[in-house]
Parts: sequence; C-alpha cells; structure tokens
Amino acid sequence: MMFARAVRGRGRPLAMLALVTATMMVVATTVASAGTIRLPKNGVEKPPAASLTETGSTLLYPLWNLWAPAYEHAYHQVTLTTAGTGSGTGIADAASGTVNVGSSDAYLSPSVVQSTPGLLNIPLAISYQAIVYNIPGLTAHLKLNGGIIAGIYNGKITNWDSPAIARLNHGVKIPSLAIVALHRSDGSGDTFIFTQYLSKQVAAWRTGPGFGTTISFPAISNGLGENGNGGMVTGCQATPGCIAYVGVSYLTQALGDGLGYAAIANGLGQYLLPTPGSAETEAAGFTRATPANETISMIDGRIRGGYPIVNYEYAIVNKHQASASTATAVRSLLEWAVNPKFGNSHAFLSQVRFDPLPASVIAKSLRQILSIR
Amino acid sequence: MAVVDPVYGSTRRRRAADLAFRAGTMTALALVVAPALWLVVGVVARAVPHWRWNVLTTLSAGTSGGLENAVAGTLVLMAGVALLAGSTGVLTGVYLAELAGPRRSGRPGGGWARGAIDVLAGFPSIVLGYVGYVALCVALHWGFSLLAALLILSLMVVPYIAKSTESALRQVPTNYREGAEALGMSQGYALRRVVLRSALPGIVTGLLIALSVAGGETAPLLYTAGATNNLPTWSLLHQPVAYLTYYVWTDYNQPTSAAHVVSNDAALILVAMVLTMLVAARLVVSRTQRHAESAR
Amino acid sequence: MSTSRDDAPPSGTSASPPARRDQPVRRAGRRRRREDLAWRWGSRVAAALPLAGLGAVLVVLAIKAWPAIVVNGWGFVSRSQWLPGNTYGGVVHTHGVAHPQGSLYGAWPLIAGTLETSLIAVVIAVPLALGTAFALTERLPSWIARPLGFLVEILAGLPSVVIGLWGVLEVGPFLARHVYPLVANHVPNVGPLRFLTGSVGYGEGLATSGLVLGLMIVPIIASTTRDLFLQVPALPKEGGEALGLTGAEVARRVTIPWVRGGIVGATVLGLGRALGETMAVAMISGSVLGKVSPNLYGTMTTIAATIVSQLDSAATDGTGFAVATLAEAGLILAVIALVVNLAARRIVAHTGRLTAPVGRG
Repeated sequence: MMFARAVRGRGRPLAMLALVTATMMVVATTVASAGTIRLPKNGVEKPPAASLTETGSTLLYPLWNLWAPAYEHAYHQVTLTTAGTGSGTGIADAASGTVNVGSSDAYLSPSVVQSTPGLLNIPLAISYQAIVYNIPGLTAHLKLNGGIIAGIYNGKITNWDSPAIARLNHGVKIPSLAIVALHRSDGSGDTFIFTQYLSKQVAAWRTGPGFGTTISFPAISNGLGENGNGGMVTGCQATPGCIAYVGVSYLTQALGDGLGYAAIANGLGQYLLPTPGSAETEAAGFTRATPANETISMIDGRIRGGYPIVNYEYAIVNKHQASASTATAVRSLLEWAVNPKFGNSHAFLSQVRFDPLPASVIAKSLRQILSIR
Repeated sequence: MAVVDPVYGSTRRRRAADLAFRAGTMTALALVVAPALWLVVGVVARAVPHWRWNVLTTLSAGTSGGLENAVAGTLVLMAGVALLAGSTGVLTGVYLAELAGPRRSGRPGGGWARGAIDVLAGFPSIVLGYVGYVALCVALHWGFSLLAALLILSLMVVPYIAKSTESALRQVPTNYREGAEALGMSQGYALRRVVLRSALPGIVTGLLIALSVAGGETAPLLYTAGATNNLPTWSLLHQPVAYLTYYVWTDYNQPTSAAHVVSNDAALILVAMVLTMLVAARLVVSRTQRHAESAR
Repeated sequence: MSTSRDDAPPSGTSASPPARRDQPVRRAGRRRRREDLAWRWGSRVAAALPLAGLGAVLVVLAIKAWPAIVVNGWGFVSRSQWLPGNTYGGVVHTHGVAHPQGSLYGAWPLIAGTLETSLIAVVIAVPLALGTAFALTERLPSWIARPLGFLVEILAGLPSVVIGLWGVLEVGPFLARHVYPLVANHVPNVGPLRFLTGSVGYGEGLATSGLVLGLMIVPIIASTTRDLFLQVPALPKEGGEALGLTGAEVARRVTIPWVRGGIVGATVLGLGRALGETMAVAMISGSVLGKVSPNLYGTMTTIAATIVSQLDSAATDGTGFAVATLAEAGLILAVIALVVNLAARRIVAHTGRLTAPVGRG
C-alpha cells in the first residue's frame, strides 16, 4: 500500500505530462505520415459495433480482465472476449488471424516476424520479475547476481550457506539449507526474461542453456518444474530451501506465503529490490533506445538505480485486419489501453503491480497502433 | 469343513490363508474407497466454505467473479456432443450390431468401422486436441471455436456411444426380432419400433456416461475451445467457448484467493455434474430393470 | 470399407410396377422400403465418420511430424536432451527443414516417464481392483456394496483436472512427508532396490504420478472384473464350497480362472488409459524435461503432459519446428497406445465388452 500511494502521488503529474506529450507527438506523426487518422481529443477513436477477441499471456490475463469490462462500459457497441491461454498461442493466433489481439510477455522472434511480416508487437505496460526464496528465519533481503543464480540452476551451488552467497551477503546469517531450484515447466514469458538475465550476466549460460520461453534447464537432482506462476509460489512455499522466479503480480501472494525476495545485481553491479520505482527507472533508461518497432530487451541494463529484470508486456496485432471497421475497433481498444487516463492509469496497473509506459514509449506504441488498417 | 485335503494342506493353514484373503480384499477395498472419499470430500471441503449461489448467475471475470459462462459453455458443449457424437455413435452402433453381418469366423463383423472405433477408443485425447489446434484452429483459420471443440470431443467419445449402443442392441432378445418379422414388419420399421425401443435404456446410459466424460475433459479443449468470460454465442466459428475445467486448471495457479475460490467452485460444480449424470444413468437402468421384471 | 458382403440384395424399385396413388398399402410399403434404405445408408455413413476422422487425425499428425522426423532422426527415441534452440537467434536448415539454431530434441525421458508411470499404475491397480471387485461381489451385503460400488463409479467419472488438483495439493505433500521416507529409509541400498532409496523429493514426481494414475485406472479394471465375476455361474462356485473349499480357494481355483482373459483385457485397457492421461500427470509429475528420474520419487514428465504444457511455447518458434517435434512425440504416443489397445482387443474379443473410453485428459 505504501508503494502504491507513493507511486500514485508521483504518478499523477507524470501521467498528465505523458498524456500531453503523447497527444502532441501523435498529432505530429499523423499529420506527417498517414494523415488519414486523426485522434479525437481524448486520444481514443470511437469504435464501430464490433466483437473483439484477445488470447495470450496468463500474466497479462488479470489486467485484461480489469480492462475488458471498463472498455466495454465506455463503448457499449464493442464486446471484448479475453482468454489466458499462454503467450505462444497468443502470438500464433494473432499471426493466423484467428484473434484480433494476442498478448505476450516476450517480443516477437525474428523467425516469427519473417513468417508473418505484418505482425506488430505493441507495449501495453511494464512488468518485472522477483526472485523469491523460502529460507525460514531469514528476514533480510539476500543479494544475488547472475553468476550465483546460474550456479544454483546448473547445480554448482547446492546449499544456501555456500561461500559464494556468503561473500555477497556480509553480515547476514544464512542457515545451512539445501537449495531446490524451481523453474516453469510450461512455456512462459517469465522463463524468457529470467533466462535472458542469466544469459546477459553469465557467458557460459548464454552459450549453454541460452534463453527462451521454454529452455532445457540443466538436469540437476534438486530441480523442480512448476506449472504457472501460482505453481511456483505454492511450490516454493511448500519447499524450504527453494528459489523461484515469479512475475511481480504474484509478489503479494509470495510475501503472504512467507517467502523472501532478493536484491538483484544490474549491469552496473548495483543490487536492487524489485519495486515500482526501480522498475520504472530501468524502463525510463530504455525509452530512447526503444526502436520504432518496439522490439527490445530491457534486461540487465547499465542504468543507475534500475532493477535488471524488467520487460514490456506486448499486444501482438496483425497490421492487416479483416475489415476496416474491425481495424478501427482494434485501434480504439489499444489506444484506450495505452492511454494514461484510461487503461494505463495506476488505478488499473497497480492492481496487478505493473508500471505504466513512459510517455515517449506511448507515442511509439500509438504510432504502431495507427498503422493497423 | 472337516475335509483335510493333502493338496491344500492342513485346515488351520487353509483357514489362515482364507483369512488373509478376506483381509486382503477388504484392505484393497479400503485403499480404493478411502482415497475416493478423501478426493470427493476434499473437493467439497475446499469449495463449500466460500460457496455462494450467485456464481451460477454471474459471469466470470477470469480470475474472480462467477462461473455462469463456464456452466453454460459446458452445457452447450455437452449438448453439441450429444447431438453430434450421439447421432453418429448410435447409428454406428446400429451398423455394427444390425447391419454389418458376422464374419466367416463367427466373430462380429464391421471390418474397418469397428477397427476405427477400437483404435479411437484408446487414442490419447491430447493428441486429438493437438490435431484440432493445428488443423482446425490454425490451418483452417477457425480459431478457438465451438465447432473445433465439438468435432474433437465427439471423435473422442463416439467409440463409447457406438459400443454401448451395439451391446444394448445385442442384448435385445432374438425373439423380438423374429416376432417383428413374423408380423411382416420391414427391417427398418422393426428396428425403430421394436428393437431400438427395447435397447433404449442401454443406449441412454451409454450416452449419459459419454456426456459426463465430455463435460470433464480438459486437454483436448485447452487448444480448441480456448477460453472466454462471455456466454456462449451461436456462432460455430471464431468465438471461443468457456468451460468449467478451464477455470479449475487456470485459476488454481493464479495469485489471488478469489481465483482459488473460482477454481474450487468449478471443481465442485463438475463433481456435482458427474454425480447427477451417474445417478441419472443408474435410475434409467434400475427403472427399466423393474419394468423388465414386472413384465415377466 | 469391407461392407460388400452385407450389401442389400439389388433393390427391386426399378423392376416393381409403378405405385398407384389409390393403393395405401403399397404407399406404406414404399415408405417402409425408404425407411429401410434410410437406416441402412444412414448407419453406414455414420459408421464411416469415425474412420474418416481417425484417418484425418493420423494424416495431419504425420504431415505435421514429418519435418521433425527428418531432422531428429532415429536419435529422437534415444536422446535425452530437449533443447528448443535459440528461437531469437539464427535459423538453420537441416535436410531442407528450417529450425532454430541449436535445437536438439530427444524424447527418451518422455517415453521412459510414460512407460514408468503406467507400469507403476498397473502394478498398483490390478491387486486393488481385484480385491475391490471380490469384496463388492462376494463379501459384502448389497446394502453396503451398492454405495461403495457407486463411489468407485464416481471415481471413474471424476474429471482428471479435479484428480490432479487433489494430487498436487493434498496427496503429493502427504506422501512425501509420511510415506516415501518410510520406504526410502528402510529399503536396503543394494542392486535394483537402489531405485527405491535416495531423496524422496517434494511429492511431485514419478511415484506420486504412478500412484494417482493407479487410482484412476482402478475403476476401469474393477468394474469390468466385477461384471465378469457376476457372470461366473453359481454352480461351480457352490460346488467348490460343497467340496469344502475356502473362499480364497474358490476364488483362486474357480472364479479367477473363469474370467482370466477378461481381467487381462481390462488391465490392458487401464494401461491404455494411463499411457494417455494428460492433465493429472501434467499437474503432479514435476514436469521436468530432458531428464529421466534417477529414483522412484524424482520429477519427470510424460509424452502427453509434455504436449499439453509445451504446445503453447512451441508456437513461439517461428520455424514451426517445435510444433512439429510435438507432433512426432504425439505420433510415438499414438503408436504405443495403439499397440496396447490392439493387444487388449485381441484378449477381450470374446468378452465383447468395452469399459470407459481410455486416453482421457
């Protein structure tokens, strides 16, 4: 609650600023490039009667469930069907045109873009990931870095009292306890950003297991696969000595279950806790680097005060929709979702612990949204 | 009882062996009944403390809210399966029992049709679901849809309906058919008015059990029916369908206790549905048995 | 379809005299003939539909799997790695098939996991089912046997997600805390018994999956066995008892030999169900790819569970190779299930009875 209040207090003027900048930029872009679509004053086109479907990421699913009734309330003529089926089907269904919007925790891979050139990935919000553990009696936040986490997941570090962990955590009394390394057994955007962090921090991980939504974790006797973020949290709660990576939406539940969470090393070697502030700092550091197609990894940035495991949550949309009226409805929905007055307001995002998009990223997202025809 | 048989050893040892056997069967029964009770009671105990009747009349909000859409979707799926697999299965059963003549070896005929039914009966449902996804949803651009889900579910339960229809038809006494023939009825007329009518309880029982199987499926539906928080629509294509097992599977893994309530409620409704179907099947059987006895 | 032998004799419609309207009998006769034809062709078409569906499924599966078969080769069934490769990196071509750089798939742990869990399930289920069937038919008065029998029927009808939920929330933790340590700590650490020792894990894995699967197939075997027991004529049993045989001896010498074929058949049907079970195993197995469990309690996965948990992320592989590889795994599962089921049909053929559809998820 403290966080939320602090953020809201800080966020309001920021959001207003974002809105103003975004609208200005959009007006500039639309006039400059397409010229055909002019956004109304509130920044959201009025949709025609339409029935839209969204499938995909289970991490975004709770947010879509907040958004859908609110958007339908604002625009009665649209029905929006949401479904948490997984990022992979979200991408595949958007590519095959069977749904209007897919949602994904990971950006599109070059091979998907190659096979479906019209596919866009449009950031909707910012999510980050916590590394949690179950060490009874430990109240301090442990410091961990990529080297140690990789060492745990490849079986080189098997006990919490290992010297490598102690060296990072002077003065913290860590009990002797065997480590159990949990990983997601289903394909997941969380595995994607977690393994991308390890790949960026540890050369041997990059060339070894690598990163992806499903990877072959090193076969270790103390490894355990869990289904879904919820499985990670409940599995970790039931298993003293465990370590797990969970989407930040699940942090409240993890803390309620008595789990601790770690301060993680970023690209500058600073150790940071996953907070809305440190994630926002990381994302702000990447706004200029974010390219026009918004395909970018924000993992392990060299940003002062930036938490290193942060990502955009994407809408995956085909640029070419079946009809002009469907395209208008899709644009309207996404314009509403990225608008800081509506979908990107803290009222929605803080409920699932996501961060809003920075203003310049909203502008880039809008430019992509307006290319949907 | 006093017989001492050299083959079986002394009476005392035989008594001991018999006692051990009795104890063994009772232990086995206990080892099956206890977990089954634990399971059912567990489902009820997890759901009832948070149960509210309005889950049946409220739409889902995914990770919270009610299950009206899932109950409706499951019923629609079951109705569709009853229609599609029911008609196909019953007719296939008629073919196997009445029309495909016996083989020369005297074993029941039906050739390829019977082979297909036998193979399908043992076909892993997730493989059917996979094929439904890649072929119907993606390649044919149907998307997550009622039709894709119905085709896959029907393919899965059709063998059971066909088999139970066939065995129900085979249990119709031969003299019914002979009597019908003697009265000059054509084969089709006799089938409709006499044979099917007396085989009906068996067919209905098979259908009910097949439907309870269809209603409890998850794996083939995850990638064909998709999921939605809305009520089922009348469109066969492009609109996902909600179903109860989806919420059991998805929401037990979500971060909020509201989601766990949804999952537990869905499990309870599923168990209640299965129970209803089984009791209905039982009633059909026992009522007709009474009829049969009173007719005798 | 080999239906020529039961084709109707050439119908006489063309040869018969044209029906006159003023002859109601004839009109009825024609209607009846039409009904005959409708039944005949309706049922024939219906019987062809499952065949067509099965054919379509196999063709789609084969087409989808083909690129994976070409690239993965025979090593697919013996390798243990499950490496999707770098889906965000380069695309390479092997034998003309595009796949992500570094992808290397082996299904051995999945095949082993499928066979191991099913074997445990059958070993557990057969004695339990036989004992249950005996108790229900021979031992207990009907006022108690009936409700208990109904409970076993309910067990057969429960959705596998509900059973999986129970397995992962309640059974697994219970077994890992109270049962597995007893076994693991008291079994001597020699020879093949070593498989029963070592770390007992956390309740998710091979043993829990096998046990829960066993419980799931008990009703299949038990209900068939019970029906078979009821078919055993009373005369030989009573004869045995009159000769002074004990209940156990009647069971061993008379009842079981009488229905042995049926029991074996039902067991193989149960095995088929265990092989194809998806959701419960996906929830309880621990779902570890690329590793065969070193002991009875370790985490693992099966082919069916892998397909359901990996199909989504496979769809992110733009080359489609991951989806193709799952088709190949599915093909292997289908072949295993097919062999098992055909064997079962062979054995059950003379009992002519089919229990619950197998391969549910």
